[in-house]
Amino acid sequence: MGVRQTPHPHGNHKVRAEGAADVAPYSGHTTFAHRAKPKLPLQAHMTAQTASVSQQTSVSRWRRYRPDQQWEAYLFLLPSFAGFLIFVAIPVIASLALSFFDWNLLSPPEFVGVKNYVQLLTSDRVFRKVLFNTFYFTVTIVPLQLAFGLLLAVALNRAVRGIEIYRLIYFMPVVTTIVAAALVFQWFFNRDFGILAAAIWELGAKTGLPIRPPDWLNDPDWAKPAVVVLTLWKNTGFTMVIYLAALQGVPRELYDAAKVDGASGWQSFRYVTFPMVSPTTFFLMVIQMIGAFQLFSEAFVMTRGGPAQATLTIVFYIYQMAFEFSRMGKGAAVAWVLFIFIFLFTFIQTRLQRRWVHYEAGGES
Amino acid sequence: MQIRQWQVLSILVLAALLLSACAPVAPSASDADSGAAEMPADEGPVTITWAMWGSPAEVATHQSVADAFMEERPEIQVEIAAEPWGDYFTKIRTLWASGDASVVPDVLFLSPIQSYASEGVLENLDPWIDKSGYNLDDYWPSLMEFATHEGSVYGFPRDIGLEVLYYNIDIFDEVGVPYPDESWTWNDLLAAAEQLTVVEDSGRVSRYALGMEGGKFMLWVMQNGGAPLDDMRNPSRCALAEPKVAEAMQFFKDMMDNNYAMPPANLNQAGGDAAVFQSGQVAMIIQNASRVSAFNAAGMNYDVAVVPIPDGGQRAAGAGGASWVMSALSDNKEEAWTFLQWLQSTDGGQRIYTASGEILPALQSTARSDAFLNSGQPPVNRQAFIIEGENAKIGRTGYFAEWSELNGSFISPGRDQIFTGEVSVEDGLAAICEQVDAFLAENGFPK
Repeated sequence: MGVRQTPHPHGNHKVRAEGAADVAPYSGHTTFAHRAKPKLPLQAHMTAQTASVSQQTSVSRWRRYRPDQQWEAYLFLLPSFAGFLIFVAIPVIASLALSFFDWNLLSPPEFVGVKNYVQLLTSDRVFRKVLFNTFYFTVTIVPLQLAFGLLLAVALNRAVRGIEIYRLIYFMPVVTTIVAAALVFQWFFNRDFGILAAAIWELGAKTGLPIRPPDWLNDPDWAKPAVVVLTLWKNTGFTMVIYLAALQGVPRELYDAAKVDGASGWQSFRYVTFPMVSPTTFFLMVIQMIGAFQLFSEAFVMTRGGPAQATLTIVFYIYQMAFEFSRMGKGAAVAWVLFIFIFLFTFIQTRLQRRWVHYEAGGES
Repeated sequence: MQIRQWQVLSILVLAALLLSACAPVAPSASDADSGAAEMPADEGPVTITWAMWGSPAEVATHQSVADAFMEERPEIQVEIAAEPWGDYFTKIRTLWASGDASVVPDVLFLSPIQSYASEGVLENLDPWIDKSGYNLDDYWPSLMEFATHEGSVYGFPRDIGLEVLYYNIDIFDEVGVPYPDESWTWNDLLAAAEQLTVVEDSGRVSRYALGMEGGKFMLWVMQNGGAPLDDMRNPSRCALAEPKVAEAMQFFKDMMDNNYAMPPANLNQAGGDAAVFQSGQVAMIIQNASRVSAFNAAGMNYDVAVVPIPDGGQRAAGAGGASWVMSALSDNKEEAWTFLQWLQSTDGGQRIYTASGEILPALQSTARSDAFLNSGQPPVNRQAFIIEGENAKIGRTGYFAEWSELNGSFISPGRDQIFTGEVSVEDGLAAICEQVDAFLAENGFPK
């Protein structure tokens, strides 16, 4: 991406979004990536189609042999489409049906109407806790991740020798296996022999002050921040890379103009950089919110949802219901409630974006 | 163009539907064929499928058991179908849900029995026991109740997972604390714990006296005469809001507050009780016989003793263990029963499992045989297992399908809140009981 701004930043941005999905940080995004895949051949097909239309008149002779190039395109599409249908579409529809049944896998499913939903929304105390935890993680992880990601991107967006090494270092956690990372962090946080705790104990011993490390994973008040820290460490690199790409698309002239107008460093960040990367911010915000709603592995490995359900998230609750308590119907109902939440919040965000996202270079800033 | 696109799309959908419809059917159809091919040919050996979970090492032991059986009874072939613990139960349930007898294993390892027996997928073993005169009296007292549903036997526990106190002899010698024995009460445990615990000047605990998994807290409760519910098969109310329960909870909470016991969450993060015991971060653990082979392999200097009890309390090690069951769908019940009976005999499977050093066998005759008592391996004081076995109690977990949710959603989190000091013991127990009672009412208990 050069200095010249592309005429359609929005379309450009979409392409980035798809590339990004392949390295999406949350486990939940595998579905996202999977869904995004069929688009690529489709897009390729679109161009092929337009090409064939333009050729129809000039080389009509070819029609006999290549009456319709769609067939080949769809043939290539078939494997991934079949996979999508079998592993995504059909199970999704089945899970909606299942949410109106009681089913423990052993006896035949029993139709119970909206009982599972009513129970969830009225009498289920664990679900209330789970909702609170999930919102806690969303409102902490998303803004922090955006802020740190942008900060790192601005810091690393300069032509210094070896800058790639630094970018690599910050991106490495993204490609680390989450289970391995969570296990390491579990030791890292341990009060008795964790390295973080050891440093704090040492500090207390050296200074004689009554400083004690928090009992991170054993104390309901500290377990949530511990999960937030792990998630930030794991995912900020992803945010950073997307922001880096966006920053490199901001035209140099805008900064020069701002400088001429006497803008300070902060002002040019506030009035040039920030609006110019706002489409990226919007994209990151949406996918990170979805990711935060689907938080699971971090809590599953590091805290097992505990202590006292302090890190039990919605997806964890789905897992518990379906695979630990054998209540498939209720698990499916929780999954659909989660879908509705994600849908609503994404919808609200797409509405709100009109007020703060700038798609035109040199818009109203 | 538009129309053609729709045609193409609908063909695609159809093709995909066909594919998806074919995929699950294909393997079961071929299985049924092979089953049908074998059935009329009565001369050849009958094959039964035997399913269990386990690590590769455990599966190797199971395979040696199957081999020993096939050597004795060449007319029955035993085929092992092992899955890791995490996938096992979902997989087995899914197989049963298919309703296809040819894919469901004939003999399986299961727990808890009641959740499955109540759904009618397990064979009632009473008629088989009556017909063959199989001796149930050899099981530890009250152990068979673990595999009983509505008065009938549905499985045979392979072992009894009761707890004993493991102690590190080197640490005891170094500190100069006498070894635990049958006379120890909670007070003796506390007195020893005070000496065994090492706290640095900074406040960091470099050695806890005791490591115990959080889920085992019910051992203390039952030793003191408490229980989780008024009836563990068909409960009508929570029984935790009782003074004797509160006393037992306070005892363990004090041990954690005084740094005598490692907090259960930290124990898990540190890799579990075996890891911290081997590394000397704790001097004692309370655990079942499953740790013996690992500690022997590590060459540890340790022994076991009975678990200390409160003054006027009772021994209450947990009577229970995963059990071998027969699928009600089995096509080869005669052969499955022959195998089950052999598995659960001192001359058969029980001896091989016991020799592997990881279990306390379910049969008393096996436990009292040389295979267990005089195996020549540590721990020396194996008599402790026998004493706990004679006094083991059932009732630490509920014997009904909803127990896992009741425990996982309400009792365990409530216990965490008490142990971490978020609520007082009394308030915490009252809060657990309120939720448990609401759950029981919502699910139509007592049934």
